[in-house]
Amino acid sequence: MMDLSQAFMWSLRRDLSLALRRPADGLNVLGFFVLACSMFPLAIGPQREWLMRIGAGAIWVAALLAVMMALPRLFEHDHSDGTLDAMVASGQPLAAMVAGKIVAAWLVAALPLVLITPLLAMAFSLPVDAIPVLMAALLLGTPVLVCIGAIASALTLGLKAGPTLITLLCLPLYVPVLVFGAGAVEAHQSGLQGWAHLALLAAGMLVSGLVAPFVAALGLRISVE
Amino acid sequence: MIRQANPLESMAIDFDGLVGQDLALSRGDRRLFEKLHFRIAPGGLLVLLGPNGCGKSSLLRALIGLAPLESGQLSGARSGTPLSPGALQRIALVQGHASASKGELSAIENLALSARLDDTLIDGTPQSVLSEALAVVGLSRQRDIEARRLSQGQRQRLHLARLALSLRASTRPLWLMDEPSAALDDAGTELLLQLLDTHLSRGGAAIVATHLPISTATGQRTVLQLQDFAPQRPARRAPPGLPGASASSGS
Repeated sequence: MMDLSQAFMWSLRRDLSLALRRPADGLNVLGFFVLACSMFPLAIGPQREWLMRIGAGAIWVAALLAVMMALPRLFEHDHSDGTLDAMVASGQPLAAMVAGKIVAAWLVAALPLVLITPLLAMAFSLPVDAIPVLMAALLLGTPVLVCIGAIASALTLGLKAGPTLITLLCLPLYVPVLVFGAGAVEAHQSGLQGWAHLALLAAGMLVSGLVAPFVAALGLRISVE
Repeated sequence: MIRQANPLESMAIDFDGLVGQDLALSRGDRRLFEKLHFRIAPGGLLVLLGPNGCGKSSLLRALIGLAPLESGQLSGARSGTPLSPGALQRIALVQGHASASKGELSAIENLALSARLDDTLIDGTPQSVLSEALAVVGLSRQRDIEARRLSQGQRQRLHLARLALSLRASTRPLWLMDEPSAALDDAGTELLLQLLDTHLSRGGAAIVATHLPISTATGQRTVLQLQDFAPQRPARRAPPGLPGASASSGS
């Protein structure tokens, strides 16, 4: 039997090498994020104060929607080509394999968004010292988005209305992440540091990271039946 | 008996045997079979026969917990200890309908991935055994070719390579196979039977769902006609002479 870390690495390595072989999936998400963010300055006009005011919120909304775009695919391929059946039937620790998939999904879909954020923040003329706060908030918040999304995606696997259901299930749970994520930058700009927001996001990341693999694995077991 | 020289080293397999008692299974609200008993000893081969839709694949899926059994019990043949689907998952090697291979990955990468799942490739196993297994099933030249460029038959041979690895490692004594000879040519079928023979002669066991008559040299072979265990529907039968009407009366 593979132990937990071997099972984790098995699916992490596999999903990362698959993402390298079909880069379109990851680039799609990144492209959507960049496009969505760059629409705001065009629509609102060059008033610096306005852009500064909405910048963090707009980037957060775009990141949230971009991550949600990637979610229906998380288990879809494995389900349709029979790999998921093989994973469940092998008797290997499924939750660890799911955790590997979640981490891989975050690395492929969310990490590039975080890394390109400084550029977009400049388009919104966010002050330079706010950019690390925004990046930290995204770094802590996007794993929560992926974890919640993984649960929703496992539960709706194989349903025709899957993507719609994922959106409906996820959005209410995403609201707190959005509020605290955008709030961190706002708090920083108003001179309040924003550590409280970041701490809450970190707590959310830890809890969802611990719970999501098990719940998603349970959902997958139900879905393959 | 003369065994063919096998490049994969030989090892005895430890298997307790498997007994299924009073198994029943439904799909939706249709009962597929009930009161099904089977017994498979080490070295035994259980062949599931029956027309399409009689529940061959469903039984295989139910054994490893991919579908819930409605009633019945599975236990070890010698010890009599009850076996959960989880316990069966750990001793079974499953070869299903779907390819379970990733089109973007090469043949050897796919084999490595499934071998890790099967526990036939563990940390420290030299990678050369993968190439050897591919050579056994005649896929040496396709080693680094993406799986999506392989033909159906070649993908099926990739599954045979899994079996060859399983023979080497002996970690999965029970082979569950769903139409293993589909898309294989004569030489491939011959190879499949040869691998199966070796497995059985070492004390492994297999349950095979198939349409084809499978004959192996070794082991006791039991044939189960699944349609014999379909539930009898006494009432509301269509009158004889109207064969088309009876199908719709049940559900």
